Amino acid sequence: MANHSRRVADAAALCAAALALGACGTARRGEPLRGPLVTTESAQDRGRIVFAQNCYKCHPGGEAGLGPALNNRPWPLGLKRFEIRHKIGAMPSFDKSRLGDQDLHDLMAYLAILRKHSERTQEPFEAREASR
Amino acid sequence: MLSAPGRLARAAIGLLLPASALLSGCYAVGPSQGGAQVQSSAKPRDVRPKDVAVPAGYRIEKVADGLTFPTAVLFDDRDRLYVVESGYSAGESWAVPKLLRLEPHERWTVVASGDKNGPWTGAVYHKGFFYVTEGGTLEGGRVLRVEPDNGRATTLVSGLPSTGDHPTEPPAVGPDGYLYFGQGTQTNSGVVGDDNRQLGWVSRYPEAHDVPCADVTLSGRNYATELGQTGAFLPLGTPSVPNQIIKGRLPCSGAIMRVPLVGKPDPELVAWGFRDPFGLAFSPQGRLFVVDNGYDERGSRPVWGAADLLWSVSTGTWYGWPDYSGDRPVAAAEFKPILGAPVAALLASAPGRPPRPAAQFGVHSSAHGLDFSRSDAFGHVGEAFVAEYGDLAPFNGKVAGPVGFKVVRVDPETGVIEDFAVNRGKRNGPASLLGGGGLERPVAVRFAPDGLSLYVVDFGVVTASLDGPQPQKGTGVLWRITRDE
Repeated sequence: MANHSRRVADAAALCAAALALGACGTARRGEPLRGPLVTTESAQDRGRIVFAQNCYKCHPGGEAGLGPALNNRPWPLGLKRFEIRHKIGAMPSFDKSRLGDQDLHDLMAYLAILRKHSERTQEPFEAREASR
Repeated sequence: MLSAPGRLARAAIGLLLPASALLSGCYAVGPSQGGAQVQSSAKPRDVRPKDVAVPAGYRIEKVADGLTFPTAVLFDDRDRLYVVESGYSAGESWAVPKLLRLEPHERWTVVASGDKNGPWTGAVYHKGFFYVTEGGTLEGGRVLRVEPDNGRATTLVSGLPSTGDHPTEPPAVGPDGYLYFGQGTQTNSGVVGDDNRQLGWVSRYPEAHDVPCADVTLSGRNYATELGQTGAFLPLGTPSVPNQIIKGRLPCSGAIMRVPLVGKPDPELVAWGFRDPFGLAFSPQGRLFVVDNGYDERGSRPVWGAADLLWSVSTGTWYGWPDYSGDRPVAAAEFKPILGAPVAALLASAPGRPPRPAAQFGVHSSAHGLDFSRSDAFGHVGEAFVAEYGDLAPFNGKVAGPVGFKVVRVDPETGVIEDFAVNRGKRNGPASLLGGGGLERPVAVRFAPDGLSLYVVDFGVVTASLDGPQPQKGTGVLWRITRDE
């Protein structure tokens, strides 16, 4: 039992540390730096539109803007979903009348693929441009 | 009894939620991190195209530099290239407004020049004449017709209400042969305030205020200033009363107007309820689009979190200023300043319900000029390319990171916005913040007549503090983006 408690505490501390270190990587995911974002599911395409209509203005491209960056923070998407539905801090909440369950599901699908977008392609793009 | 993984998840959420709230709370008290929050430098601007990233298959190059406050690029019927130098920048920096023609070896010929009534915000060439919009900071806005051979200017329209925060904005010629132009509002959100004294124009025009395009009935809500309570559409220090009617008239604030280019050039109203309708362009299908700068978090009636907007414009429609941002009322909680009170509606009854905007740009991105791609060879036909001048934080509000300072492309059907030209580096921002020789403040874009090149007008270095913007003369650049694959 004590073992379990220690593990829970360790994991929670790890999460908190990850949160604190969350902004270490770059949040930039735009086409000029990373290449085009290739979606694999229709939910991601729909989510891109939901993002454009509701989120982009404060998190342009998932980068920092009026609000903090989204792409380089290790938030569990479940927590992000909770934050969208319930007002936490500065961010306004989006209830079901503004963002239906399907829209929220699609948005999560888009945020997931945007966050992972093509880190590997950055180097060839950067190298190619820099060599000009 | 929860299992170990269940307890783990609950504990993680138990920690993450307060952490999330803490981080969000930090936003309220933390410093602004805008792109202009850097010390002004007297050093000449370094210009290096390789510091700008564009999508694979495209190339960016410098066409010219050393320009002072450039605001537009255009072409005549022989495809010769012209640039407008505005002659004025916010921050009360004056120069001579000029229309310049690019000659070989990066030499410029002055085609026309103006008086101290800038900024010249834009120009178009149409059937043998240039049409220039004169911002009108000192004497009110004008639309000028300029003869190419001798630079002689004739005033087509004068007396535009441009002596405040936002000038008469760039023109576009419509498929109907009319000249369309935007007129910005006198104030941020309808009430003259201490922010306007700071910007300098209240001492010149203490009686100035916004002018509605049609009669409006006020709610009677007033806001405190150093000169007393002030109401909407009234001079500083003049309160309003409930149900007070303000008579509408033309020309008016926050509107798109048009004038015929044949016959008497009397302004006609196209649409109103904009804040600062800067970028104006017709799509390949002939639809009118405008980029409208959103509210700032400043003055007696600050609005938080209002996006810059792309509108598809319908004749006669009211687009929401001063009581809506897009199709949302600014009295809603989502627009309440973090440390302030929500604003109240200024109008007792709205002239209409604004439609949903075609796209929403980053808050404080200062989206300005736009043009549509019409060339398969360039790509993205039917998409709008938009220049984002970039934030002026902390003067116009607080941001968590630099916003704008780039060129984006917009699908007007879905509202999806993608970066098109950005500075390289781990973070976004102007070259003066990041180092390097990339973009500073893209203010206008225009495709060459063959559609194969996109020209980007870069206004130059403008830093900002709580005292306002500090522009630097001679730092403007003209860029060109072409497809090379």
